[in-house]
Amino acid sequence: MKPHKAVWAGLLASYALVPLLFGSNHYLMSMVVAALVIGGVALSWALLGNLGGMVSFGHSAFFGVGAYTSAIASMKLGLPVPLSMLLGGCGAVLASVAMLPVLRLRGPYFALAILAYAHIFRILATEWKSVTGGAAGISNIPRLPDGLGVDWGSKTGNYWVILSLVMAMAFVYHRIRTSHYGLALRAMHESEDATRVVGVNSTLLKGLMLVVSAFMCGLVGAFNAHYINFLEPDYAFSSVWVTLPIVAAIFGGYRTITGPVIGAVAVYLVDQLVFKAIMPSGHQLVLGLLLVAMVMFSPDGLLSVARKLSGRHHAAA
Amino acid sequence: MLQLDQVSVRFGGLTAVNAVSLSVGTQDVVGLVGPNGAGKTTLFNAISGLADTSSGRILLDGVDLLRRPMHQRARMGLGRTFQIPQPLHELTVRENLMVAQRFGTGAVDQRKLDEIMAFTELDGKGSRMAASALALTELKALEVAKALATNPRLLLLDEVLAGLETSGKRRFMAMLKDLHTRFGVGILIIEHDIETISKLCHRVVVLNFGRLIADGTPEAVFSDPKVIESYTGAEHA
Repeated sequence: MKPHKAVWAGLLASYALVPLLFGSNHYLMSMVVAALVIGGVALSWALLGNLGGMVSFGHSAFFGVGAYTSAIASMKLGLPVPLSMLLGGCGAVLASVAMLPVLRLRGPYFALAILAYAHIFRILATEWKSVTGGAAGISNIPRLPDGLGVDWGSKTGNYWVILSLVMAMAFVYHRIRTSHYGLALRAMHESEDATRVVGVNSTLLKGLMLVVSAFMCGLVGAFNAHYINFLEPDYAFSSVWVTLPIVAAIFGGYRTITGPVIGAVAVYLVDQLVFKAIMPSGHQLVLGLLLVAMVMFSPDGLLSVARKLSGRHHAAA
Repeated sequence: MLQLDQVSVRFGGLTAVNAVSLSVGTQDVVGLVGPNGAGKTTLFNAISGLADTSSGRILLDGVDLLRRPMHQRARMGLGRTFQIPQPLHELTVRENLMVAQRFGTGAVDQRKLDEIMAFTELDGKGSRMAASALALTELKALEVAKALATNPRLLLLDEVLAGLETSGKRRFMAMLKDLHTRFGVGILIIEHDIETISKLCHRVVVLNFGRLIADGTPEAVFSDPKVIESYTGAEHA
């Protein structure tokens, strides 16, 4: 099958077949939506890691800020949910702009600084009670509205929305990667001075990647707020929103665009549906072991394993 | 026109470049010579923005360069090559030049890139990976090509001929001789080989212990006792 045909087949299957087959199974659909939320965060994380060369432990901040901004905008300002979600993305961008000073740090120092930064926003959400409701959180966050004859707030509607968001993010990521900016970013990893001496503003480019990544992550966080309808600081800023996506991205291959999303769906669904059934408590242990094995034996991710296997298959045939 | 006015670069207690004043026009091809450790590359780093200037002024066409970060100096028309080639790894030769042209000039002009690749004898290598698939001569040519792609008015060439074997050196020399007229670019070139400098340049400046000790025609400079003394390693008076 030619690659573009595979893409169309995949799109058709994701948009039509999944709701058709599993639409009536609310439990399974909610698992799939949750997996795509992780996938969206994983994609935004991988964009920063792959294009910007930065390992972020701070994406839970973007996720949480996006969620809170959107919830507050829709409830206190009475804005329509889609607009609130966009504002959620913008809120995450503002949070990332506050992080720009740490961009001059490298490697582990950047990772530590952004982790500390992320914590600031969690404290803010807990203490700024008049706006965020404090530790008690916000409930009854409005769900996605009806429109164009579709109830976007239904299980299937929510699925279509998060699927489309992730697709749109993947498209933007692809456009950046294949642009001149993408070329310069790829070159910057190993030869930053060599790019600067030919006129590349490397600090600005890295900053832009942080901002784009934050917007995407905030948008996903905002969607999740209107999907779950409830927020509290410990949930919205939970470290799960950064650890699971990292696991997913590395599992799927963080240097690819499809890898993080496929990794998220695979990791989350297998964990929830298989490992959790076998080991109700401590099932994350299996994931941890799998990740270690992955990093040791195939650091390029799951997709490269699949490619190797199919290559061997073709060679045998 | 590049003007250096009493430029010094200090690293802690060490003065690598000491009160150097110098001007190079876009019509000039100037050789920068001096023994190892004289501060030649440090001076290039100060001009291009890789090293901080401790005191003095550096102007390009009257604009103060010291307030500008490295990438802006490149966009203003200052090109440079590195002694140890620094290709943009992971990119092909053509992509290397595209990045240099896009970010150095603001737009991509494929015809100009073809011209530069033909001139630097890199045509036919466009789809090769820069770092892994090029020989040293080609990497050195890529350094020059990248700098040319930013459409410079002044080129700083740091020992582009060093390490090349005889035939590669001869081809490179022919290219360097044409560079100035073909692209209308001023050149300041660091080179150890006195014969090469005499062939290429109509003016030579000499650095020793960070100080400028001579400035003139190759004949005059290379017969200057002070210069001969610095080269033969006699005690600096």
